[in-house]
Amino acid sequence: MGLGFFFDQTRCTNCLACVVACKDWHDIPAGPASWMKVVTIEEGLYPQLRVSFLVQCCFHCAAPGCVAVCPTQAIQKRTEDGIVVVSPELCLGKDQCHQCREACPYSAPQFGAEENSKMQKCDLCLERLRKGLKPICVAACPMRALDAGPMEELISKHKGTREAVGLAFSHELKPSIVFRSRMKKP
Amino acid sequence: MEKLESTACASHCGGTCLMKVHVRDGIIVRIETDDGEEPQLRCCLRGRAYRQRVYAPDRIKYPLKRVGPRGKGEFKRVSWDEALDLTARELKRVKETYGASAILVKTGGGDVTFVHGTGRITERLLSLFGGYTGTWGYHSWEAATFASVATYGTIAVANTRDDLLNSRWILMWGWNPSDTIQSTNTTWYLAQAKERGAKIISVDPRFTDTSATFADEWIPIRPSTDTAMLIAMAYVMIKENIQDQAFLNRYTTGFEKYRDYLLGITDGVPKNPAWAEEKTGVPASQISSLAREYATTKPAALIAGIAPGRTAFGEQYHRAALALAAMTGNVGVHGGECGGRCLGDQYPFNTYPFQLGPLMPAGANPVDDKAPVQKISLKGYRVGDRFVPRSSARVHISRLADAILRGKAGGYHADYKLFYVVNSNPVDQLPYARKWVEALPKLEFMVVQEQFMTSTARFSDIILPVATFLEKNDMIASGATPFYGYLKRVIEPYYEAKSQLDIAMDLAERLGIRDFNEKTDEEWVKEIVKGSAIPDYEEFRRKGVSRIRLSKPYVAFQKEIEDPEAHPFPTPSGKIEIFSKEIEEMNDPLLPPIPQYIEPWEGPRDPLKEKYPLQLITTHFKRRAHSQFETLPWLRELQPQALLISTVDARSRKISDYDLVRVVNARGEVIIPCKVTERIMPGVVDLPEGAWFSLDEKGVDRGGCANVLTTDRHSPCGAQATNTALVQVEKV
Repeated sequence: MGLGFFFDQTRCTNCLACVVACKDWHDIPAGPASWMKVVTIEEGLYPQLRVSFLVQCCFHCAAPGCVAVCPTQAIQKRTEDGIVVVSPELCLGKDQCHQCREACPYSAPQFGAEENSKMQKCDLCLERLRKGLKPICVAACPMRALDAGPMEELISKHKGTREAVGLAFSHELKPSIVFRSRMKKP
Repeated sequence: MEKLESTACASHCGGTCLMKVHVRDGIIVRIETDDGEEPQLRCCLRGRAYRQRVYAPDRIKYPLKRVGPRGKGEFKRVSWDEALDLTARELKRVKETYGASAILVKTGGGDVTFVHGTGRITERLLSLFGGYTGTWGYHSWEAATFASVATYGTIAVANTRDDLLNSRWILMWGWNPSDTIQSTNTTWYLAQAKERGAKIISVDPRFTDTSATFADEWIPIRPSTDTAMLIAMAYVMIKENIQDQAFLNRYTTGFEKYRDYLLGITDGVPKNPAWAEEKTGVPASQISSLAREYATTKPAALIAGIAPGRTAFGEQYHRAALALAAMTGNVGVHGGECGGRCLGDQYPFNTYPFQLGPLMPAGANPVDDKAPVQKISLKGYRVGDRFVPRSSARVHISRLADAILRGKAGGYHADYKLFYVVNSNPVDQLPYARKWVEALPKLEFMVVQEQFMTSTARFSDIILPVATFLEKNDMIASGATPFYGYLKRVIEPYYEAKSQLDIAMDLAERLGIRDFNEKTDEEWVKEIVKGSAIPDYEEFRRKGVSRIRLSKPYVAFQKEIEDPEAHPFPTPSGKIEIFSKEIEEMNDPLLPPIPQYIEPWEGPRDPLKEKYPLQLITTHFKRRAHSQFETLPWLRELQPQALLISTVDARSRKISDYDLVRVVNARGEVIIPCKVTERIMPGVVDLPEGAWFSLDEKGVDRGGCANVLTTDRHSPCGAQATNTALVQVEKV
């Protein structure tokens, strides 16, 4: 097992600090590409509601579907830490191919607004990890609801579940994310 | 060369945080936040987007002078000399021709800092110049401050936020800190309180993100009727004899009069839950059980948000919340709250008694001093080091456009000819936009200090570009847990922007005022630090923060409760005033001396509802701090400005999600997309405040500005009623 995320769904208030922090750190302009998003899941009818929030970024799957389908091997899963990275110079661009986007149930692959833009996505802030820092989203979270690190550590530290409201665990892909979930325990 | 600078962020968003700014060759390249010891002061999305704010293509780079008709937004670049010479000349001319009272000044929060923020600098400058007409009324919390001062003698009524960890039961009333921050780390403390087993309940017309995350129970309520529910809860407590009578006997005055009102002895109307259900839409059984839970779970914190106070009779809501907290004995104890003005993050609005050196004195304004004090002035009404000006020469903020339009003929103290705006965007942020559009062309001269082309700037004759807090030196004291923050100049001012202090110094010279100011902004910070509890100036400057370590959370009124003989409450009676003699002497039937429910105009039972059947609220928006940050692309893409409408109300109007809708009342019309949702009470719509208005050729606003629809009537104590308005919504 490599590196992955922890997300505390009971704490996330949809404040969106992680989303903007990611855009600033990676210098991504406003537009369709966003390496980190927060989605809202609304259940029930007025006034009996449950509303939950879920981070949406690359979960650096153990068996990533995007890597398997990429026709040019532009996407690789690093053997040393499991981070899924993309080499834009190898990517065919969105006008020619978007198989990775279709293969990913978590909407991780992102494309900019420009013509034939190349795939881009969360790299777990490799540049920061090398300096011993947590990813920018983790460092940004005002609720301390995010963490990142080796999956074994995250699992034992947070004693989390592999599913959350709005996310079904894919046994095929095995997304590297652990949750403190708002789902009722069975 | 790259450097990393730590500095405080204070953006009038409700928090104050720590920013770490990466600067390469004088340019900000990235922004990080606090990564030191806990409690870290982590920035919200607005702070994280600040780089885009500093370098926004639409930031005002140079002094501008109007060339087209007022309000059309046609300007040309001029030199600072030309802009300031003209401003000084107009100030002198207007004072000589019409008198100093013809100079109308609106200041606001801006960044709510000690040196450049709020109105201090401009007020001092123009007081020394001979005076000006100022305003009265706080945009956000006039009702809350008035009620807190009337009941407890002070605005400092909240515990520090970490005290939530001691609460077993938290009642969030119209309170949404996920969006409004309400002190950095407030939601983090809420999460921890919940994890420790506190039960959390939300009373709110909306199912907010805060409610979604924390509330065990959501009780939707009709806007402008909160007082009725609080009063009925008090009734239940009395009827079931579960109030803390020992506390009431020892610490309060006038409870009997309130009890007589509740039981209907004074007016024949018992204020029971059925009475409240009819008004509020909240089932009577729910009101009763909430009252029981509150009275019997200790300690319990009623956090009375300030949005329900921005209503037709908003002060009654706050007075009723304060009285209810006293009835449960949750005052002055850990884990309690006195139900007062919920903590404002920044000095002078917070509770913790910070030590500080002297701030710039605003000086005496001759125009204020010549006019009598207003009838509704509370003697103990101080904010920080200052008594709140209550001269009757002042214009209420809600009435500014009306005052410009009508002047003496409309009963105001003067005819207003020159309008000077600093740290504020009144044209977008004060009610009744159409009146502003009518009024502003009447002015002879208007000048604004701004960073962006807000509607206020668009109507000005001169726009003076202002530096952001990353381009000057300043200071704050604030926090959910108390700390001092240093806002440091980490880059040179953008293009020709200047600090507020520098602009005022240049004007002072032109106005011939010699003793205006001798210090730089950094020298002011040093003076303030000298009188503070900060051990080392240089370390403070380097770190951007100096924390005050308390062994326990700070609790408001702890000493008054523990030793009432030695520490009376700072009220006229020395007790918590459920009945206020001071208010009684104001002799206004709409401002009663005990908390009372008064049927709101434009409320759910106003006959006007036939024509305009929906209640409008104008809530805070996550991606803005009021009207600040409005144009930043990173933030705009996260939340489209839209009208929130319930599924029920949308269906009956054949409206679907993201349809364009017309929101209309007698004051104006907005055309905007809508968001159809289960998360708002039927009968209520929400147009978030802070969007800048943008009128099309027919005078219809396409910008989604809530104040096109809000009223310029204010509550009897002077609260803006921006959450009391009736509208109709139809598909375009």
